Amino acid sequence: MTALDLASLMAPPSTPLLLASAEGAPEVPLSVTLIFSALLLAMILSLALEEKIHAKKSLIAGVFAVVCLLLGTAFDLMPFGPVEVGGHEIEMPVYIPAVDWGVIAIILGSSLFIDVTSKSGLFTWIAIKLTKASRGEPRRLLWFYGLMTVVFSAVLNNVTAMLIVGSLTGVSLKKLGREQYLLGFLVIEGLLTNIGGLLTLISSVPNIIVGTAAGISFVEFFIKASPYVAVATVITVLMGIKLFKIDKLPDDAARAEAARQVESFDENDGIESRHFFVFGAAMTVLFVIFIATTSILPWISELGMGYVALAFAAIMLIRYKSSVDQFYKGLDWDLLGFFAALFVVINVMEHAAVLELIGEGLAYLIGLGETLGTGLVLVSAAAFSSVTDNIPLAAMLSKILANMDTASTDPKWWSVVFGANLGGNLTPIGSASTLVAVTIIHRYKLEMGFARFVVTALPYAIVQIILATAYVLLVLA
Amino acid sequence: MTKLDHFESAFRSASKDTFSWVPPTIAKILVATDLDAEASASYEAALRGFLSATLAGTEPSWRSVGAGDYDSVAALHELVEQWQPDLVCTYRNLHSSAWSFAYSLGEYIHVLTQATDAPVLVTPHPRQTEAAAHALRNTDVVMAMTDHLTGSERLVNYAAAMTETKGKLWLAHVEDELGYERLMEVIGKIPQIDTDSARELIRAKLLQQPTDYVESCRTVISAHRPGLTVRPLVVMGHHLATYRQLISDHEVDLLVMNTKDADQLAMHGMAYPIAVEIREIPLLLL
Repeated sequence: MTALDLASLMAPPSTPLLLASAEGAPEVPLSVTLIFSALLLAMILSLALEEKIHAKKSLIAGVFAVVCLLLGTAFDLMPFGPVEVGGHEIEMPVYIPAVDWGVIAIILGSSLFIDVTSKSGLFTWIAIKLTKASRGEPRRLLWFYGLMTVVFSAVLNNVTAMLIVGSLTGVSLKKLGREQYLLGFLVIEGLLTNIGGLLTLISSVPNIIVGTAAGISFVEFFIKASPYVAVATVITVLMGIKLFKIDKLPDDAARAEAARQVESFDENDGIESRHFFVFGAAMTVLFVIFIATTSILPWISELGMGYVALAFAAIMLIRYKSSVDQFYKGLDWDLLGFFAALFVVINVMEHAAVLELIGEGLAYLIGLGETLGTGLVLVSAAAFSSVTDNIPLAAMLSKILANMDTASTDPKWWSVVFGANLGGNLTPIGSASTLVAVTIIHRYKLEMGFARFVVTALPYAIVQIILATAYVLLVLA
Repeated sequence: MTKLDHFESAFRSASKDTFSWVPPTIAKILVATDLDAEASASYEAALRGFLSATLAGTEPSWRSVGAGDYDSVAALHELVEQWQPDLVCTYRNLHSSAWSFAYSLGEYIHVLTQATDAPVLVTPHPRQTEAAAHALRNTDVVMAMTDHLTGSERLVNYAAAMTETKGKLWLAHVEDELGYERLMEVIGKIPQIDTDSARELIRAKLLQQPTDYVESCRTVISAHRPGLTVRPLVVMGHHLATYRQLISDHEVDLLVMNTKDADQLAMHGMAYPIAVEIREIPLLLL
């Protein structure tokens, strides 16, 4: 299939704003496409080396967005002019409609909602209750922390889940005098964040991007992803118990002492107001219900998940009405800035026909056969997202698949979702949550460099990726 | 990683120190004086009366050593090491005329508290006239004192054991106001830290930790000694002046304190000035 053939298959972009920007795009010389391909590669490499070059990802993507916009304008690629919104033509800078504000709204709203809700002490309460329920028995503790990591990753986000469970792991294992298990617990939890991140549409950014582009509903996403998540979680924890030699406590005396130690945790310590705690719990349940049913709720379905997330954040912020600025300061502006800049870069790449070029490669993979192609998409997505941020990958591949008019039931969407998420388990830089796990490991002065992480995590990642490939090909295809 | 700090702090705060009930056994009591036999017997009788309620139901073995039984610190130390008493009772400035000056404890007390495991009950000197009116009468009001109440299991167990069945046990913690102000002065010069909220939060947390521990002690002690009233006294202040005031306000009969410090051979930094200057009531030095 040639580029022209492929271009003829390209469907219009999914949003009216992007439709307006993509229409009437001039034919792009290959040399220009290659220049922009080099820029894209340079950005991806820079993001992969984020830690080495000591630069935040928002700045890296921002610098590339600035350069791409300038070059895109110089090469006459950018579709300047008014954009059409609801039948009205509106003048706005060319880079504004390039951003997927729906995704930004979901991330902004849910981050604020989670931040305010965590002030109620709800998440620490749940974490400590589970710790007590384990009675300090290491194996049971790993099971409970593993399940908690998966659920928190699914309901909150991977990074917050790792922060909560990882910090509790450090404190509780130290209290129990089981510091020798710290490395194993943190590695397993780090790996499970990316498994839990597969559970729902809002569990990770790649899910949001791919799910939104594919038109997969929250409920459909959950139904299709949950069997894999359940099996992968059990296998990962069992492997962790075996490979990290997490032993049972030897006798009743040790069990009694461990139970006494965990009983001394006070789950109510972080609860400033019982009323706000109950309110936070109720709102969290409602948040999940509303997000899950957004597509079928009257009016809400038109406003979208971003609206739901922002609305819940606004309701929670009423409690802190005089000091909401502290929550605004606490937002991950680096992440939000990164998304905005990334969307701009990808939009320019689309106009420069770079996505078309990558699409050719993808089309080649797909052309190898439905089974082999879908499997290769998953494995290559995992390999790619293991060395750089999985968000550009998800954004780029979902754009290409959308342009190829791929049906929402097509398993290739799931290949991207599974590959982008699970690739994060191959290296410590593959996902933000594994990076948090390694940071906590380093805080406890444990040895865990890049190579050691890869060697440690590889067996788990390989099993998870093989399992995912089999699941996508045998169950979802 | 601000949020990591946030959650770690939350979980560290939720991790409370707990108190275990391990009451000490007092089966052998050694009374050391620098008096003749008759005066020693009189002193021992006063002690028996003072501790009668504490030791009710037990029949400890008493042994008195007077001026003629030892002639040096080493000799008394050897005596203690050989007999292995569960409690040594004595008074400050043994074999010294410095008892009338409030500047020291005397070399015997120093060595006994640091070189032996036995707790030392230091009473006002027999010839001291300014002892509190309620001193050496009973142990119905006891105060346990330390600069770090958390983890002071032995201290609290001894304090509870020394308190009469229906007595009142004050678990006291005085957080050093001077140290706190010094810290606040430094924080006030760091632009990255909000001074007002730091002042409020640090003060609250400094007092919360010992308060939580006292509550843990109260719960456990109440289960084993239901008649005993356990009360917290957690305040900011100047150690010596505040303790003096608290002892006076609550008419404390016995002050219990730790004197050993794992990092030094000398007596615990805060215990020393209080042990030297609080001369009106008996002290139990652990």
